[in-house]
Amino acid sequence: MEDFELLRHITIGQYLPGDSVVHRLDPRTKLSVFLFITLAVTFSLSYTANIVLLLVTLWLVLFSGISLRYIFSAVKPALPIIIVLAILQLLFYGDAYTPYGMTTQTLFQWGWIHVTNGSVQLVIVSALRFVELLFLTSLLTNTTTLTGITHGMADMLRPFSRIGLPAHELSLVATIALRFVPLLAEQLEVIMKAQASRGADIAHRGKLQFVTTARQVAVLIVPLFIDAFRRAEDLILAMEARCYVGGRGRSSFVRLRFGRIDYVAYACGLFFSVAMLVFRKRFPF
Amino acid sequence: MSDGPFIWLNDLHHVYLRGTPLEVTALRGVSLEIHRGESVGIIGRTGSGKSTVVQHFNGLIRPREPGKVVVDGQDLSDPRVDVRRVRQKIGLVFQYPEQQLFERLVGDDIAFGPKKLGMERAERRERVKWAMEVVGLDFEAFKDRPTFSLSGGEMRKVALAGVLALQPEVLILDESTSGLDPRSRKEFLDRMLALHSGHELTLVFVSPSMEDMAELVDRIYVMDDGRVVMSGTTREVFSQPERLREHGLGVPQVTEVAHALIARGIRVGQVPVTVDEGVAEAWRILNS
Repeated sequence: MEDFELLRHITIGQYLPGDSVVHRLDPRTKLSVFLFITLAVTFSLSYTANIVLLLVTLWLVLFSGISLRYIFSAVKPALPIIIVLAILQLLFYGDAYTPYGMTTQTLFQWGWIHVTNGSVQLVIVSALRFVELLFLTSLLTNTTTLTGITHGMADMLRPFSRIGLPAHELSLVATIALRFVPLLAEQLEVIMKAQASRGADIAHRGKLQFVTTARQVAVLIVPLFIDAFRRAEDLILAMEARCYVGGRGRSSFVRLRFGRIDYVAYACGLFFSVAMLVFRKRFPF
Repeated sequence: MSDGPFIWLNDLHHVYLRGTPLEVTALRGVSLEIHRGESVGIIGRTGSGKSTVVQHFNGLIRPREPGKVVVDGQDLSDPRVDVRRVRQKIGLVFQYPEQQLFERLVGDDIAFGPKKLGMERAERRERVKWAMEVVGLDFEAFKDRPTFSLSGGEMRKVALAGVLALQPEVLILDESTSGLDPRSRKEFLDRMLALHSGHELTLVFVSPSMEDMAELVDRIYVMDDGRVVMSGTTREVFSQPERLREHGLGVPQVTEVAHALIARGIRVGQVPVTVDEGVAEAWRILNS
């Protein structure tokens, strides 16, 4: 049966009000720790390191009071990508990677397909890293309001404005982009319903059919684009009508303040990530 | 007709974003029925569940236990039901329907539905021509115009024609007149009424405007907080202004005037709900 409720399946980017320590942290702390752990995830290639990272991420999720079921639903739409990635790596990466401290062992060979212990590890670790990153992104956006993220970003980028980086503008662009995601999802839902009401077979495609004809997509994409442009124009008008200039000298209603828990969380995140990075080659597997 | 209702809803419940921490309950047990050839209104303040109800009519939202939706004898909770056939019988026009246009030319956009039904070229052309005439667009003058060069009112007519081209037996208008100027609005509603009486089209209006309702419908369902709180003929419903006010609604202005006159001790015969009735009643009072 068709299901038009798109927002039910988009969990990344959806702020869930709460009162956990993670919710109460300063957005700058969260953004920094998020960045540190992401770096640790990016550079960890061993099984054990990734299991440690996955457990830490899950612990953070539980700690923030977000249900595991909700956070796992973020993985579901990404599954096709993870699977395709895994297949490609398994087929073509046989000789590309040798785990630290091991020699390449061929596990399976047939024609040009060459599966080694290295490529198997790459497949599993890539999937794990993908899931870890999804969890981290969900966690950040589920516990931080959009305003929080924007102000945090603007604040953290401010030192770079000395070298000509438009910090305020960048964070504004990011905010608008993020803000438009649920709006466009909602609009897409309306368009899907309207087109289905006049005979379009929107949701009757097979589950595994990723490729649809351009004609089929046009029914949705053309109205969606027109709507997006209209919204953007409205936004421009609204901003101009209020003489928005942004940048220098602009005060804000939200004042970010570093508290004691922020220093603790910052230190823990930094220490953990540095440790993971320094010892990344020391993990047994 | 004496056979069962064309659309029958029983104890319908619906929750948006079900299974997430952001669940919103939209319907808490709605039962209603719509018969062939009727003109029915569904009113209620924002968030009362009106739109959610009508989206059940053509299978955009499927009923969940214990709710039941039966359309023309077909139970829509059965996943094997061919919803596309149901949607052909029940045309649904949304708010701002011009947002659903996508084809470059007006004629092609209106022909989208008939094409999806697998009609031949000549037949499609006939359907498009008929639908354009019904909504008041000249076929020859408009069929080859670029869709996105039209005015807002014309685009809305095109969108409506796109739904009518399926020749539905029931037409649902979900606040489809919002944003139109008074004249286009009047014209639009008059055309709907003509369709209703001329082609025996069953109409369902969803609107917060009491004036529209009084002019257009025989029966009204009043919704509030996901439930049907009042129902009856237009006159019955509008004769209870206090109860309507409790649900955040009012009565048409003429009716309000009549109630004010009654409160001042002036004898009003039948309480008017439309402007025409109000004028007639005013003359009668003045002459007596």
